[in-house]
Amino acid sequence: MTTILVVDDEPAILRTLKAGLTARGYEVVTAATGRAALNVLTSQIPDAVVLDLGLGDMDGVDICRAVRAWSEVPIIVLSAEDSEHRKVVALDEGADDYITKPFSMPELLARVRVALRRRGSATDDDDPVLRCGQLHIDLPRHAVTFAGAPVDLTPKEFAMLAALTRYPGRVLTHRTLLHEVWGPGYDTETHYLRVYASQIRKKLGPLGGQMLVSEPGIGYRLLDPSEE
Amino acid sequence: MARIPSSGTAPWLGAVLGIVTSAAVGLALLPVRDQVTSATVALILVVVVVGAAIVGGSPAAIATAFAAAITLNFGFIQPYGTLDIADVDRGTEFVAFLAVALLVGQLVSRLVRRRTQVSEASQRVRVLDERVEQLSHERTQLARKATRAEALEQLDVQRAALLRAVSHDLRTPLASIRAVATDLRDDVPYDAETRVELLTTVCDEVDRLDRFVANLLSMSRIDAGVFEPDRQAVDFHELVADRVKQLAPLLRDVNVRIDIPDDTPLLDADYSQLEQVFNNLLANAARHAPAGSEVWIAAIRDDPFLRLEVSDQGAGVQADEVGRIFEPFTRGTGSRSSGIGLAICQSIVESHGGTISVRRTFGGGATFSFTVPVHPSESP
Repeated sequence: MTTILVVDDEPAILRTLKAGLTARGYEVVTAATGRAALNVLTSQIPDAVVLDLGLGDMDGVDICRAVRAWSEVPIIVLSAEDSEHRKVVALDEGADDYITKPFSMPELLARVRVALRRRGSATDDDDPVLRCGQLHIDLPRHAVTFAGAPVDLTPKEFAMLAALTRYPGRVLTHRTLLHEVWGPGYDTETHYLRVYASQIRKKLGPLGGQMLVSEPGIGYRLLDPSEE
Repeated sequence: MARIPSSGTAPWLGAVLGIVTSAAVGLALLPVRDQVTSATVALILVVVVVGAAIVGGSPAAIATAFAAAITLNFGFIQPYGTLDIADVDRGTEFVAFLAVALLVGQLVSRLVRRRTQVSEASQRVRVLDERVEQLSHERTQLARKATRAEALEQLDVQRAALLRAVSHDLRTPLASIRAVATDLRDDVPYDAETRVELLTTVCDEVDRLDRFVANLLSMSRIDAGVFEPDRQAVDFHELVADRVKQLAPLLRDVNVRIDIPDDTPLLDADYSQLEQVFNNLLANAARHAPAGSEVWIAAIRDDPFLRLEVSDQGAGVQADEVGRIFEPFTRGTGSRSSGIGLAICQSIVESHGGTISVRRTFGGGATFSFTVPVHPSESP
């Protein structure tokens, strides 16, 4: 059975998410404090974590950082704050995805499904071919095809698309992408990303282009439209 | 019209005026030369020298003294019409005149110069005074501006805190409501019990929003200075019973114990404001009390007040928080609230002439204690 840990200091949210997730066949463990959450995470690693950033006793970002020391469990961050900055920090500290309060239940369930799927596919790390829907990236041969047709990308475009395809559905922050593709020292040059994302979208065509989703102020993610 | 200066600062003008006047005096007196003595003429000429000194200072006085001496010698010392001097007596007269004229001219010009200096100095002092005044005025204005900037900054900070609080306290209940609503819309096969639980959650969160909106309204009234209690006789038993009943969903996980003596007097208070104090204190207690713990409501007579207390067995208040817990937007450690509820409690209690404070409950937890005046009809 798939276990999901829900961490929030709002009893109403805990009740609601527990009911909603249980009804979909997940087993739900709840924690109202950061301390309780870490207790759960050290004893039984769940299959996914839904974590509120604004806990009373701890900062959710610190929990992300702590958990990443021993586990790759997918973490979806809940945030009531408008501040994009906190979400970005959480993502940089190892969170996989975020969702802003107030959220709709179907939205949260979709994010949970994406997170769980990622965890399932994370094991085949050695596969030299990355796939997301009709997009295939052959890493050793540096070859990209969309719906069977070859796509001609520059090395930087290739690196950016490969980074996103490695974690389908997951938000990669601007910082992470810049670091991965351009290396250290380019962390603030987000306009590079805009230019390259636009190039990649053009080369993938209308169908492939819409897979590359921009999360304003946060980063980019690659979505497989057939899965949603 | 140009004014002739009297400050000894116009040497050329003084000299010309002095020389011309000397000559004019000489010419004017020529027809009566035989009826006046040369001493009279000399006296008049000395006056001219004094005038020149006043206008043109020392150089003008010297020039005029010589001009006057020449005029005297030429027109009034025999032999007339020449610069020759007839005898020792006339020579002495001429030399004495010149000496006196020079001396008087110097003395006057020095006096004039001193006076000018003094008036210049006083002018400078006046200018400095004005400058000082202007500076101090500017300083006052700057200080006022700085105070205003500070006040504005303070206002900005407050406004940002308010917005944060509003966004947090509105969004949090909305999050649960939206999650439940979107979930139920999807025809999920919930059992009846879960469905009721979810809908109860929605009702609870709506109540919470309602309380928050009431607090916001009160806060805006407090800010606008129109928060006068509408006093009436309030039966405390009735008020508490009603509050506990109304807030039952909120207090569902704790045991409420009411400890109010039967002879508790009527209160002199605004009923709905007092309700709001209890809403906030009980919501606060419910938020911090662990499930299954007790929340006490107590009343102690403390004439001319009634002391009312709400205690919980939560984490209590940190010593460093006691002082600022009633400030708006102050959130206790681990607190989820915006921090305006307790600030409003304080405003309400103080507008009734009472005081509010918090202390550690014996054995942990927090006790909020406030006083409300007893109704006049109850005074012994």
